[in-house]
Amino acid sequence: MIYHRPFSRLVVRSLFSIVFLFVSFVALAQPNGKELFEANCKSCHAIDANLTGPALRGVEDRVPDQKLLYAWIKNNQAVLATGNKYFNDLYVQWNKTAMNTFTGLADADIAAILKYVSEAPPKGGPKPPTPDGGNPDDKAAASDNSLLYGILTLILAIITLILLQVNSNLRKLADDKDGIPSAEPIAFYKNKSYIAVFAVVLFVIGGYLTIQGAVGLGRNKDYQPEQPIYYSHKVHAGTNQISCLYCHNGAYEGKHANIPSVNLCMNCHTTIAEYKGEELFKEDGTKVDGTAEIQKIYKAAGYDPATKKYNDKQQPIEWVKIHNLPDHVYFNHSQHTRAGKVQCQTCHGPIQEMGEVYQFSDLSMGWCVNCHRESKVNFYDPKTGEGNKFYSIYEKFHNDIKNKKVDSVTVEMIGGTECQKCHY
Amino acid sequence: MKKLLVLSAFFVAIVIAQSCSDVKRNPNNAYMPDMAYSRAYETYADHKELSDSGIFYNASPVAGTVKRGDEAHYEILKDTTGGYNASAGLQNPLPALSAENMIEAERLYLVNCGICHGAKLDGKGPLVVRPDGSDGPYLAAPANLIEPSIQSGIYYKMSEGTMFYSITYGKGQMGSYASQVSPKQRWMIVHYIKSKQREKSAPATAAPAATDSAKAVK
Repeated sequence: MIYHRPFSRLVVRSLFSIVFLFVSFVALAQPNGKELFEANCKSCHAIDANLTGPALRGVEDRVPDQKLLYAWIKNNQAVLATGNKYFNDLYVQWNKTAMNTFTGLADADIAAILKYVSEAPPKGGPKPPTPDGGNPDDKAAASDNSLLYGILTLILAIITLILLQVNSNLRKLADDKDGIPSAEPIAFYKNKSYIAVFAVVLFVIGGYLTIQGAVGLGRNKDYQPEQPIYYSHKVHAGTNQISCLYCHNGAYEGKHANIPSVNLCMNCHTTIAEYKGEELFKEDGTKVDGTAEIQKIYKAAGYDPATKKYNDKQQPIEWVKIHNLPDHVYFNHSQHTRAGKVQCQTCHGPIQEMGEVYQFSDLSMGWCVNCHRESKVNFYDPKTGEGNKFYSIYEKFHNDIKNKKVDSVTVEMIGGTECQKCHY
Repeated sequence: MKKLLVLSAFFVAIVIAQSCSDVKRNPNNAYMPDMAYSRAYETYADHKELSDSGIFYNASPVAGTVKRGDEAHYEILKDTTGGYNASAGLQNPLPALSAENMIEAERLYLVNCGICHGAKLDGKGPLVVRPDGSDGPYLAAPANLIEPSIQSGIYYKMSEGTMFYSITYGKGQMGSYASQVSPKQRWMIVHYIKSKQREKSAPATAAPAATDSAKAVK
């Protein structure tokens, strides 16, 4: 008997704690409509937009029979099999896309989801204040400076000219006073020394411009054509952090960086039909309507956002090629990105900040060769396990590094400046 | 007076030249344009002229063409139900990935899938949830591939073949990635997702931790 009391106390205690746990569990397990919606429905349904399935707002008004609606959500295939007209029509209307079955959802869960859907605030409410975009006058201010210097130079030149004139006039006056006979004044455009100076200046400036023009032939640094669709790399690669290789997968796989097929645009833009980010501007300051630009993709893809169907009126988007190497140069992207581990931005500049893409480098031969002279090859180091095994065939250089004969190997040393590397 | 006029005209001309837009909308002239711009048809070149002169050219490979070095070529037809269901029986032809290949598979996943499905496979990529926690522009919720409780483990139960099919032809809001990742790369990505799921569920099987904490409450 002596052990009974502690034992019974234990039983009572554990019973109490079990009841307590159960009660707290029930309290905690109140189904959370938002979480359930996000875990089960949101991959195909939005509240206010048609995605893979129809928009869910007002679903309880469309299907007043609660029992039927619950049955549909749990197992739509069974409801379809009963021949229900509304749902069979809906099924056909949505291209016979089969909805997943959710037999695991309890009635309370479904009620919570429907409650969340009906109470969710409509989208497009008050927008968060957008921070001021970059000052579009920044670039203008930079060129204003050079204009200022130009004006100053001009004013100084004019003052010099005037002073020279004044000087010669004063001398003439002084000479006249002293009775020294002086030469008749010659108009400045007939003055030989003036003409000589002018000719030399003209020759220098003209020569400089001619040489610059000749060197610049076929070079297109800063070339920034207007594209058929205002595709902002700033929005896609900057704000949305999409990897360059997501679209330009060829840059890692082969010679060409590739422009993605419209299919890839549509992979995101079937869902993202409106542009809601910060305001977009063209380079000349014109405002761009992002949503209208997305519509242009739909047009090219032959996609009707209302019915979510494609017609056969597809047409290619005629992007304008910016970076062009002459035909007699071989350039391979994967050689640089995959083997050489060169970043996109090294040649293409801050592409993730460009609204409209411009050519960042002049793509001249001097520019290529310079980089080949300066860039160090990332040899594989068996000690740290870092580096690129691609270069393991250069045994001599590996040995030289090991024997401390050289501290690094440049692209030039492994033949990167030989003519036939790029011209053949 | 005349001098002043000439000077001021010169000055105005300079100001006009300076205020001109410095946006370069047209390409520069080329020395020997026939060498700068290819005479042969280049990638993406407009080939309308060919069809106009009666030459058949549709810029796509002959149906059934197999790419060189394409070890894993499968023909499952795109079909809303049939092909999708049949894909469940497909076996992943690639052997388990080596550590090096796993890094490559992770890279492929992060480049092509991570933007929506998230770097942690949790369906919270930067297009959906911004790093600062606000909503991204993508309306739908991409599949949370790593959480075992989602839709009673649908993505854990999903066969590798079905995943391959979904990458190839798309599923729900997701479109096709056949143009971006080769079949071999698709299988590598499937390997990567499955290995991440195994990593996640491995500690869960040996998890008496939950019962321990229940005891502690007692």
